[in-house]
Amino acid sequence: MQHMAQLSLGQEQSQGAAVEVRGLGHIYAGRDGAVPALTDIDLNVPAGRFVVIVGPSGCGKTSLLMMLAGLRTQTSGTILVDGRSIATPDPSRVGVVFQEASLYPWLTAVENVEFPLVLKNAPRDERRARAEAMLNLVGLSGFGGRYPHELSGGMKQRVSIARGLVQDPPVLLMDEPFAALDEQTRMTMGHELLRIWSQTSKTVVFITHSLTEAVYLADEVIVMSARPGRILDRVPIDLPRPRTYQMMATDVFGALRERIWHQIRDVP
Amino acid sequence: MSTAAVILIRIALLAAFLGAWEFLPRTGIVNPMLLPPLSLVIETLGDILGRGDFREAMLVTTAEVLVAFIIAVPLGGAIGVLAAEHAYFGAIFRPMLFYVFSIPKSIFLPMFILAFGIGFEQKVAYATFSTIFIVIMSASAAVESVKADYVLVAQSYGATRAQILRRIYIPSMMPILLETLRISMIFNFTGVMIAEMYASRTGVGHMIANWGENFMLPQLFAGVVVLAVAAMSFNELVRYMEARCSTWRS
Ligand SMILES: Nc1ncnc2c1ncn2[C@@H]1O[C@H](COP(=O)(O)OP(=O)(O)O)[C@@H](O)[C@H]1O
Ligand SMILES: [Mg+2]
Repeated sequence: MQHMAQLSLGQEQSQGAAVEVRGLGHIYAGRDGAVPALTDIDLNVPAGRFVVIVGPSGCGKTSLLMMLAGLRTQTSGTILVDGRSIATPDPSRVGVVFQEASLYPWLTAVENVEFPLVLKNAPRDERRARAEAMLNLVGLSGFGGRYPHELSGGMKQRVSIARGLVQDPPVLLMDEPFAALDEQTRMTMGHELLRIWSQTSKTVVFITHSLTEAVYLADEVIVMSARPGRILDRVPIDLPRPRTYQMMATDVFGALRERIWHQIRDVP
Repeated sequence: MSTAAVILIRIALLAAFLGAWEFLPRTGIVNPMLLPPLSLVIETLGDILGRGDFREAMLVTTAEVLVAFIIAVPLGGAIGVLAAEHAYFGAIFRPMLFYVFSIPKSIFLPMFILAFGIGFEQKVAYATFSTIFIVIMSASAAVESVKADYVLVAQSYGATRAQILRRIYIPSMMPILLETLRISMIFNFTGVMIAEMYASRTGVGHMIANWGENFMLPQLFAGVVVLAVAAMSFNELVRYMEARCSTWRS
């Protein structure tokens, strides 16, 4: 119920879709000719939603995310983020959380978080305060002075999430952020992410390999085919929020997981 | 082992070394004509440091080393960065640089004498030549050590090219760059010494070569001590800088 309130709030701020993809296709100019990576991608993510993309390795998930972030230009089709096209990276609209090891080892945790603000030449006190607030949000207050090598894998990803949120973008893109973590930490981080999400009412596009993680986190799971990536299915996840670990043992959860598994397994 | 123990052992070894240097020639176990005792070398060191010609030689050598360093490091650095960043340039020149790097540079010394004579320019030119390849190779390695992920993250936060250079490239290359400075100085110093010992009218290398040819061993060893102290001081300076900017290295 708390989540529904957040959702409607988010929709009031930006009418309709936070991320809108129309007829997107992408072809890489590979060594032995053209490699079609994505075809016919249509995606509509309403503001405040948590959408998870799953699909076999190499199906173009990372490519799609790079395009949503303005880091790569699609061959065809349009992308609107917050109502406008995104040709180059725009951190005021999109924050990105990459896989592990994306923190700068020569900066402390708080310096890593404030890095996007340093690029904007924000005043020192202001950006430090903002970074500390973000560390607080991700449950790392008191750890700001540590270097990345002094943090555990889960803590590093918390820092990385804090960095993604520091400019308060309406959209957060996450590319297999917990893939390198052990199972237990991964579950905890998923739960933490949902807490952070419900406190900030961001629109999240999250990529994962793990079907359990997908069902646990998502409002909707987008299932993609093997290369060239197409959308095979859109699975609404109508489990109540807040989600609990107990839900994983329920039949509904199992059935949703099964439905997604079928789609991916049937791919040749 | 504790740090204190390591330091104690080091001091003990140094004391044993210096003690042996004094004791072995004094007792005649080692021929004092070949190894003059430490006390005599120190006395001679005081003498030669007071001599005008030796001081002048030190100034000349220092100038040669510094000028060659100031030319070789930025020039080699620029070529190295270009070779790593620019695909065509790299493809054309890297194999060539690699092969030249593997040739002992001293065989080219006669050509430098023909081209530049035996004065200051020749020392600088030869030292630059003998140093520049290691700088090029190291600078390329430094550029390649910058992870693509680091750049991608910065780009996703809208970093400009200048910001990526300043905030990503420089700090992530810093450890290798400092190491390059250190190694360059070793090559550079060696280059100047070889050139001075081979053919010269002045410079510390020239004086040491002369003392050696005339069996003036106390002077020879005093000269060696001067050079060793100079080399170690520079090494310590770079190490101090390294320690200061590598707290994040695990
Ligand atoms: N820069 C590139 N140049 C050529 N091919 C690429 C490039 N990046 C990715 N690909 C190819 O495109 C396909 C999709 O890659 P990617 O988006 O990384 O997939 P995923 O994240 O789903 O594993 C893969 O087959 C990959 O080899
Ligand atoms: Mg990927």
